[in-house]
Amino acid sequence: MLSFVGKRLATGVGLIVTLAVLTFFFLQLGNSDTAQRIAGQQAGPEAVAVVEERLGLDRPAIVQFLDWAGSALTGDLGRSWFSGQEVTEAVTTRMSVTVTLAVGSVLLTAVIGITLGALAATRRGWLDRAVQILAVIGQAIPGFLLAMALVLVFAIELDWFPATGYTRFSESPSEWLLSIALPVIALTLGSIGGVAQQVRGAMIDAFERDYVRTLRSRGLPRRSVVYQHVLRNAAGPALTVLGLQFVILLGGAVIVEQLFSIPGLGPLALSSTSQGDIPVVMGIVVVTGVIVVVVNTLVDVIQAWVNPKVRVS
Amino acid sequence: MLRTTRLAALAGAAAITLTACSSTGADDSPSAGASGDSAGAVVEGGDLRYGSVVDISTWIAADAAWGNEATYYMAVYDSLLRTSATNEIEPGLAEAWEYNDDLTELTLDIRDGVTFTDGTALDAQVVVDNLNRFREGASPDRGLLDAVADVTAADEDTVVITLSAPDPALEINLSLQAGLIASPSTFDAEDAQTTPVGTGPYVLDTAASTIGATYVFTPNEDYWAPEDQHFDSLTINYYADASALLNALRDNQVDVANLNSVTQIPDAESAGYTINSEPVNWKGIILADRWGMNNEALGDVRVRQAINYALDREGLLQGLEAGYGEVTTQIFNTEGDAFDAALDDAYPYDPEKAKALLAEAGYADGVTIVMPQTGFVPASEYELIAGVLAESNIFIEYEQAGESFFGDLLGGTWSAFNFGLNQEPLAWQTYNQAIAPGAAWNVFHQADETVEGLAARIRLGGEDGAAAAQELNAYMVEEAWFAPFYRVLGVIVTADGFAVTNKSGQAVANLWDITPA
Amino acid sequence: MSTPTTTASSATGAPRRGVLRRLLVHPLGGVSMIVLAVIVVVGVIAPWIAPHDPTETSLSMIFAEPGGEYLLGGDSAGRDIWSRLLIATAFSLAGGLLVMAVASLVGVTAGLIAGYYGGFVDAVGAWFTALTMSLPSIIVLIAARAVIGPSMWWTMAIFGIFISPVYYRVVYNSVRAVRGELYVDAARTSGLGDGRIIGRHVLLAVRAPVILLMSGVIAAGIGMQAGFDFLGLGDPTIPTWGQMLNEGFYNITRSATLVLWPALALGLTTVALTLLGTALRDELEGTSERRRSRKAPAWSLDEDVPAVVDHGGEDASEPLLAVRDLAVAYQAGDGYATVVKGGRLTVRRGETHGLIGESGSGKTQTAFSVLGLLPKGGKVMAGSIVFDGQELTGLSDAQMNRLRGTRIAYVPQEPMSNLDPSFTVGHQLTEPLVKAAGLSRKEAKERALALLARVGIPDPERAFGSYPHQLSGGMAQRVLIAGAVASHPDLLIADEPTTALDVTVQAEVLDLLRDLQEELGMAILIVTHNFGVVADICDRVSVMQKGVMVETGATADVFDDPRHPYTRALFEAIPKGAPRAPLAGVTSAGLLGTGALK
Repeated sequence: MLSFVGKRLATGVGLIVTLAVLTFFFLQLGNSDTAQRIAGQQAGPEAVAVVEERLGLDRPAIVQFLDWAGSALTGDLGRSWFSGQEVTEAVTTRMSVTVTLAVGSVLLTAVIGITLGALAATRRGWLDRAVQILAVIGQAIPGFLLAMALVLVFAIELDWFPATGYTRFSESPSEWLLSIALPVIALTLGSIGGVAQQVRGAMIDAFERDYVRTLRSRGLPRRSVVYQHVLRNAAGPALTVLGLQFVILLGGAVIVEQLFSIPGLGPLALSSTSQGDIPVVMGIVVVTGVIVVVVNTLVDVIQAWVNPKVRVS
Repeated sequence: MLRTTRLAALAGAAAITLTACSSTGADDSPSAGASGDSAGAVVEGGDLRYGSVVDISTWIAADAAWGNEATYYMAVYDSLLRTSATNEIEPGLAEAWEYNDDLTELTLDIRDGVTFTDGTALDAQVVVDNLNRFREGASPDRGLLDAVADVTAADEDTVVITLSAPDPALEINLSLQAGLIASPSTFDAEDAQTTPVGTGPYVLDTAASTIGATYVFTPNEDYWAPEDQHFDSLTINYYADASALLNALRDNQVDVANLNSVTQIPDAESAGYTINSEPVNWKGIILADRWGMNNEALGDVRVRQAINYALDREGLLQGLEAGYGEVTTQIFNTEGDAFDAALDDAYPYDPEKAKALLAEAGYADGVTIVMPQTGFVPASEYELIAGVLAESNIFIEYEQAGESFFGDLLGGTWSAFNFGLNQEPLAWQTYNQAIAPGAAWNVFHQADETVEGLAARIRLGGEDGAAAAQELNAYMVEEAWFAPFYRVLGVIVTADGFAVTNKSGQAVANLWDITPA
Repeated sequence: MSTPTTTASSATGAPRRGVLRRLLVHPLGGVSMIVLAVIVVVGVIAPWIAPHDPTETSLSMIFAEPGGEYLLGGDSAGRDIWSRLLIATAFSLAGGLLVMAVASLVGVTAGLIAGYYGGFVDAVGAWFTALTMSLPSIIVLIAARAVIGPSMWWTMAIFGIFISPVYYRVVYNSVRAVRGELYVDAARTSGLGDGRIIGRHVLLAVRAPVILLMSGVIAAGIGMQAGFDFLGLGDPTIPTWGQMLNEGFYNITRSATLVLWPALALGLTTVALTLLGTALRDELEGTSERRRSRKAPAWSLDEDVPAVVDHGGEDASEPLLAVRDLAVAYQAGDGYATVVKGGRLTVRRGETHGLIGESGSGKTQTAFSVLGLLPKGGKVMAGSIVFDGQELTGLSDAQMNRLRGTRIAYVPQEPMSNLDPSFTVGHQLTEPLVKAAGLSRKEAKERALALLARVGIPDPERAFGSYPHQLSGGMAQRVLIAGAVASHPDLLIADEPTTALDVTVQAEVLDLLRDLQEELGMAILIVTHNFGVVADICDRVSVMQKGVMVETGATADVFDDPRHPYTRALFEAIPKGAPRAPLAGVTSAGLLGTGALK
């Protein structure tokens, strides 16, 4: 088990390194006038040269990268070229918001998606079709459209939730909940469908397993077989889908945060990439990568732990 | 909707060189819709949630920009001098100031007993250091102190600024970012960009703030002008997305905000906000290539005048700004010396006349002008302008601008371009902004003898200076260096219980002019 | 943002004939195909039917009312909303198609090469797949935009590359599966080059999954494009739905209809694409439910059932189980596949009855009918099943549950697949005892341990705590037998109980069954294709052919004097002098069992 986790993490580290290298050199391509933009458009060549020297932009890209990587290894991701904020600080405070949204919607997705999927698989009939159609529509309609509709209806017309902004949990738990409700719902609506479909499929698959018939032949009621054996065996695929959803939701959060003016990674990613604020972009990419690798490893570990074939051997 | 963010940034960038204030003459024009006298019988206290359309780029006073960012700076810093909403110079950290006779030496008397929020005392040397840092800093508006030759501390609380030549704008500039005074402890601090220390009415609570999103301020308990400190707490929320700001307004999540665009006025009104507006920019086409270096046609004054006649200004105002604004053909501030109401319609809409002028200049088949198009501005805006001009056989070909738009623009890549510039309070400022050979927005840096003669008179001020300003304005309109459309309103919306007095020529109000009502 | 799901990975095999036709009659598929066809046609002819230039602005038409010169009115710049909508349709579809084209080209090519040759491409593919899954695509697109500027085509192409692993994985898996199969090897030994093999066999195998993913990927592309444009990151000179939405939401208080049309177009297109994907999957994977969702067609037995050759010799006592004229059918297409036509069976108390026939003869279906556990889609259409005087057909599931486990028990064929891999043996043995038989946990455990010991498991305690994968096949079958007899049933239905076991173990299991029968006095209905098994333990035997009971009688009588030609043919097929080994690949459910109907 330990070596399994170790191997997964080692692969993850490799991935993050690749990611960092690719991102860094890719960004180099498009940001030839970064120093000019940092110094201001009206700054003369001397001022630009000063900025270049201060940030070390006059060195070859490879040296810049190694310098960055060296500091990154010690946990120092540098400072934003534009705002001067420490990247570690910027990314961690904002990442916590984004992860809150993503985790919130993964949980909500899991609860609703698994319930709907299980109901669809067991009841079939009209409920199944209703779930399928809802799932398809939720999956098909772009998240930003849902988000805008939610804001117009629930924040502006009904005034149940704030239309924009984010309240920290430490400030007021109830307002925190209200402030993340709409973004989380907007994100969730899009992903419930996929999860419900997968759970439904996995359960129908599990239903047709031989052991289900055998258990039923011993007089176990259908319901108890479904809720213990079928669900348990469908949990693996469901977990994998939820892990995938997490990454997708991180991406969805970028757009939703921008629309809700939530200080998560999204707006930071948008502004830093379009500015060419390489330290911040690198920080976002690396930290996102780390989180995804950790989540994926976690999913694999849970997967392995749930599956006795891996656990007990 | 990033475009609107960038648009706001652009407006800010344009505002930099360009922002300013003080009108020596006209002063008593209360801003439209403002609640008049703001001090007085008002209940002080409460919280202020301010919606901003730009983020603050740096907290380092020496590197500061202004424009829409001014609100942030005014919260934590004081400037040496202040300008009122009507652009009169008032005392700031300098209690008194005085020019010598030939206007080359300004003596400032620094206020006693003021301390920074880190406990450091304010003295003349600190002021000298701040001014010198600004002159060498990275502010896009470093030029504000270009006329300054030397700054010295005469004693504990007296600072003497020596000029290389008279600068009528110096007092105003010292009320802008050039006059911001930061604590010496921030000079070499590593976190100076994110943690400001000033003498201002509020203190930034960095723990409660999220950079790039929300800035929370607590009152400065020892503020030297408590009468200007109206609120118990101040929060500035930055809305990167225009729709997000609209939604925040619709949901009454902000108390006071400046708008991205006048087209948001109906939304703000229907959400119960009071609209306070004042012209801030003029918008139009800068006919930069007046010598015809790149585009020969533009070198002919008749072609430039034809462009002016071809503009359906009323239509553009309705189409682009939903009618909020004032059509004009001049670029000078309505409250400044140079302003002449008659020049607001020097070129009435007349396509026939435009065509006739073109024919006279030898362009009977029309002229083609290449102009830049950027993602900052809605594509439709470009199309509308091109559509209007095409009726008079003036054909605009747009070229997609890249990331280096500003550099290309200022480097003279295009002979003409759509733009908006701040309406500076002083004619001298407008001259330095867009007319002088060295002005940033005279992108081909062309010099004209008539203009230079007038400028020399304006520099010295007085009645002759004012007369010269009027002449300069008339000359600019006649020579059609620009093709202005209209003056754009700067809009600040206030919720019930809040009032604001807009500041002429500035996108945001003075922070102390935002009050409980 | 919708993302194509990868359920299609389970799809194998080429599309069946007439998929298009069947899609059209599929309730969702038909509607979505029509909607999409209209949208595509509109998009293609848009440049010719758009009444105005979509970028042509007019000061006089700003927020113009619908009707008049502009069919749907004017937008905030006085452009014709109708013309913009038409052209935006073309660009949005083109964007989606570009994503699909790039993703499938890159993904399929890489998947084919990596799957077929493995090696370097395989490693790179896996790496790239992992890479794309560890970073949200929108961040990559924004970064790419910063580098190459706001080009819709580049953005969509990069998005295509970014989601190409969706294709890659599916194709890779399919190719791997096909690669291992015999016919590719056969093709190779017959001298076909790699190119021909890929072209002829491998491409055929990946066709279905690739088609399946198509609509989902296009929908994802269109959605991503709209989101990108909505954020103002797109190319401002190209009208798209996302840009129209951006403008619409910004001006929603001034004109609400600005949002309506692009939202409708975008929603309709993506929903139709996704529904089409679902319908495609239904049809290609045969999971369509529309037949059963409608009114069931009428069933009738369209042929006469020949009489059974009955050797007689049954005693006159009341039978424990009497099956008469049983008919079992599965709905298939517009009609039924009737797998049991004349099921006729009599089992008396304490008797061991063999039900014999080749695979697909309906013997397992008959057994499942008695248990009331026919696979999905199967239904008893006619006849009666009387158990101990009680008619079983028409009983509710709850009523059957009172009989199952306590009075009728079941031993399956394949021991491994009949134990839930996620639960311990102990749990699976005690759960029915607690829930169905009403024992306490402690009693149940004691009973289970005793049973495990009884069926010959050496270390019952250890087996009790084990997971199925820790047991051998023979052990697992003993566990299943223990589970079946735990509540002392009157009738034990054993479905090929020895087929999946080693020959040496087979005899032991049969002995165990015989011993248990004597001990408990229960009747056994043993389903088998093996005359050896029948001869070994059966008192009576019934022979089934093609769903019809052809011959029945005491084992000795039938063996001595097989009268039906089919029975005789079965006997002749037994190799002389050798114990009959199980047929390779025969499954208990036969051709019409679960495998075929899934």
